[in-house]
Amino acid sequence: MPGAASDSGGGGSAGAGALVPLSSETKQSPVYPLRHSVGPPVSPRVSVCWARGSSLRVSIFQQQSPSCGEGDVGGEVVEVKLSGGDGEISDAQWRRIAYGSMSPFAMLQSRRNSVSTLSRISPSPYHVDWWEFVMEYSKDINALLGSPRSTPASVIEDPKTVLKKSEKPTSLKAAWELMELFYADKLSQAWLPERLIDWLADYDSLFSGSCATVHSKLVDFQNELINIQVIEDNPRYWEVIGSALAVGWLEIVVKLLHLHGSYQLDQLSSRETESGLVEAVAVLISRMPRMRLELGDGRLGECYKAKPDFIKAWEKWRAQITKMDCSAYWIQCNHLQTREGLKNLLQIMLGNTNSLSSATYHWLELYVSHFLYVRPFTVGLESMHGLAQKCIQLKPVPRSQKLMGLLLGILGENTEVVLAECSKQFGPWMVAHAIELMTAGSDEAESLLCEEHYNLGELSIQELHRLVYAQVLSSHAFTWQIAPVYLTSCMKQGMGLLEILLCKQPVQHNELLHKNLEICRLYELDSVSSHIMKIAGVHHWKHGRKGAGVFWLQQARDEFRLHKIAQQLFASVGKSISDESFKQWEGLIELLGSESKTAGGLEFLHKYRDFKRSLKHIHDGKSIEAAQQAVESLMLLMKNPSTPQRFWLPLLYDSLKLINWQDRPVLNVTQTNLLLNRLQELSIARLRPDFVEADLPSQALSAVRLALATNLGRAILEE
Amino acid sequence: MAIAQLPESPEIHKLPLHKYVDAVRWLPSISALGRYAVLASFDSDSDSPSIEIHSISPSKNLALASTYAPLSSRISSLKSTRFADRPIIAASTHLGSFHIMTVNPMDLSIESVAEEELHLGGASCVDLVDGGLDCVSVGEDGMVNLVSLGEAQLKKARVFDANGLVSYTAAKWASPTEFATGGYGFSLHWWDRRKPGGPVSQFKCDRVQEKASGIVQSIDIHPSRKHTCLASGSSGTIFAWDLRRQQEPIILSGVGMGEGVSSSVSDSEIWEIQYDRSIRPSNAGSRILPVMICSEDGILAVVEEGEEPVELLAEPCAINSFDIDRQNPSEVICSLEWEAIAILSRPR
Repeated sequence: MPGAASDSGGGGSAGAGALVPLSSETKQSPVYPLRHSVGPPVSPRVSVCWARGSSLRVSIFQQQSPSCGEGDVGGEVVEVKLSGGDGEISDAQWRRIAYGSMSPFAMLQSRRNSVSTLSRISPSPYHVDWWEFVMEYSKDINALLGSPRSTPASVIEDPKTVLKKSEKPTSLKAAWELMELFYADKLSQAWLPERLIDWLADYDSLFSGSCATVHSKLVDFQNELINIQVIEDNPRYWEVIGSALAVGWLEIVVKLLHLHGSYQLDQLSSRETESGLVEAVAVLISRMPRMRLELGDGRLGECYKAKPDFIKAWEKWRAQITKMDCSAYWIQCNHLQTREGLKNLLQIMLGNTNSLSSATYHWLELYVSHFLYVRPFTVGLESMHGLAQKCIQLKPVPRSQKLMGLLLGILGENTEVVLAECSKQFGPWMVAHAIELMTAGSDEAESLLCEEHYNLGELSIQELHRLVYAQVLSSHAFTWQIAPVYLTSCMKQGMGLLEILLCKQPVQHNELLHKNLEICRLYELDSVSSHIMKIAGVHHWKHGRKGAGVFWLQQARDEFRLHKIAQQLFASVGKSISDESFKQWEGLIELLGSESKTAGGLEFLHKYRDFKRSLKHIHDGKSIEAAQQAVESLMLLMKNPSTPQRFWLPLLYDSLKLINWQDRPVLNVTQTNLLLNRLQELSIARLRPDFVEADLPSQALSAVRLALATNLGRAILEE
Repeated sequence: MAIAQLPESPEIHKLPLHKYVDAVRWLPSISALGRYAVLASFDSDSDSPSIEIHSISPSKNLALASTYAPLSSRISSLKSTRFADRPIIAASTHLGSFHIMTVNPMDLSIESVAEEELHLGGASCVDLVDGGLDCVSVGEDGMVNLVSLGEAQLKKARVFDANGLVSYTAAKWASPTEFATGGYGFSLHWWDRRKPGGPVSQFKCDRVQEKASGIVQSIDIHPSRKHTCLASGSSGTIFAWDLRRQQEPIILSGVGMGEGVSSSVSDSEIWEIQYDRSIRPSNAGSRILPVMICSEDGILAVVEEGEEPVELLAEPCAINSFDIDRQNPSEVICSLEWEAIAILSRPR
């Protein structure tokens, strides 16, 4: 499955420490045990080659050829599956994503087709709404990548639980959401900084692995919380509150502030001023004006959609903070830590860059805090990118973090970098699907991705990545059936590769064969379908399943092969259509059908069966009608050019009883003459070297000749 | 009936398994409390097929109860029944081996009773007599085998060997002495244990429009109508063969099956067919009883003669097998191509 084999190196273009491409803690080379039944001594020579997907085919031989013994194996071919993936997402999980993303992708493609047909007829307003379709697609895929983020807490909240527990986020989902909000979601374009703040709130924990984060500090503090007696004396308390405020997690800040000791009932009277100050700051925080589309339930802050309203509210709020900062009550506050801590919070809210810098741990947190408190009016990717560069200089970049390169590529509006990061960090699935978002993002990206490139063999980048992903799908026995959806969306090479894929599927199992043929039917690939049927027919035939072989060759209307196998069948017919084995043949002959247009000479069997049947009736009774019917069948057989020559004598020999019919001759003169002619032809044919002698008693020919001559005489007399 | 009452849609639970499900059956209930399903699964990571028993909670959550792994290859056919208060499982594999297992009612462990190499490669199909220990096993090699588990020993008998001239793809008991088999070219054979040596009767369903023929993938016979053999297979074909009217099949669905067939429930392979046991047979008259099918194009539907099919499930992937719970016929379990199963609870 997709997954970068090389996961080393820094986190993208700006990766600090990228000078060391191979880290010293090189991953231990994985060891794959081989299970085989080749007895010792095993030859030191093994042959290794690639098999399907990411598995190796290893051939093992015994040193000497096995001396004797039934169970001894001289050599064996085993397949070793190399585990792919990077551990974050298992192979089974990747398959689940592959299954689930097929339908949204197919839906989007069919919409694109119908939109482009419509717009060709008349320049319609449909194109305007295209991003809404992309958005729907993106939402469907996002839902696949993980459950929605933290759910609202239960009714009775644990006052000591600051962080809500939720499913561990994956960087794949984080990356997808990042792409969605920058490229697909046109509604968020005006509120990109705010969306980025929300995004970091959801995924800050992803960076904890490579450096300190606000999230990791909060987790540590929460674990200690039970053991802390006087919380406001603890410097860590004020530290995490400041950090959480800096990245805009207002709910957590207010909740933490309410843990302050002065709120306790027994202390309320003695620490009135202190408690009043804490509350005043908490109220200020919870009234922070935000310029965004909406605020979810339970989120603090005041939401403004229009810029003028926001500016007014923002200035008023800032004025309140300044006023608060100069308040006379601070002097009355005796608790030093509280005073210092609260003052620091006010500095953060006032956008003091030093306070912000010391409250945050990596550049993205600092970046977000600037959006919140220093430059709330930032718009446009250019200014966002400029700010990002500044923050990177001030704070460390989380190393070997998959998302950094991607984010910087997006901010730098560099489509190639984004594409390369997607491919390197998240594999072919991500690229094939994210291109849909990128082409919706800008016309420039669209022309880069959809334009045919000479150096890619006249393919577009979009098609190339779809083909790569289809290859990945094709390499697994469970996912190959999805590949056609992606291949058919490729204009240039898709159909050709699809035909190859279908023709290469194994045909041994009925189910698989039918699934394969079903895909041919869906895409109207009749020639491929008949090709597969031919392969299946020959496969079954070779493995002794003659009926199945004939069936598939008949389905494929393969006259040529049917004729070939007919010759082989006839060789066994002569011997085996004796009376007791007749039942075995019955089924096959039935299968051939009455009007065997596509039986390739096998219709002879049908007539032969009829003849044998009527002959049997004669043995049972002695009615003249049965005899006449048998004669008719015999004449049909002997006249028919498809009756193989080698059957002539056995047929005549079988009908000796007819020819020698006691009461009166049942064959007339012309019929007898025809049979005599055939006998004559046979005598000439016997001189040819390739003639196959029938398995009959040696006197058979003379017996038939005699009987025919006698009958001729009788018939002439009769007439 | 002026206005057709729209049937309430069933409650659907889809459960991912992260393994391919080759076949699925309800396990005849052991106790009044627990409900269990038996699955033939295939894990591609370890390349290992296995038979698993899962318990299903009332809220339709799966919990693995036991596994049986020593199988030579993937399962091609799986059936379950109950004998002497013990669930019995019969299975055949793609390499032609045949397994009979019982389930220990105490700890739900699967115990092997018999294992035989009955067929020479090629997929095969098994069927267990209702509430008995007779099992018929047919294969693409053209062999028809009977395996009977007597008091103490296993009795094997080869009923017929077509030597590969005919391949069998489906089998179903009609009574303890008779069974039907299906194969290529929409052919059906009727067998009677009392008349050995070959099929008692045979039938081939030819298409009206000479296009292409198909394969019988599944057969069902209703215990109250043993003379009618219901079969389904390629190109959405469903037909019934009445032994009393030998050459006139009743065609319920199918592509290119002629004028009489109004609608086809599916255009692709119908993998399995069963009589819909949730509908009482009394009011059906002489018509074919309602049947349920699952298909390669992802449809699970109820088909009635002369009526539009009712789709219960329409998936983007194939539905490979299904089973209706005998004790509670409103519940249906089915296996989806994309490594999942679905459980449907129909309103009663």
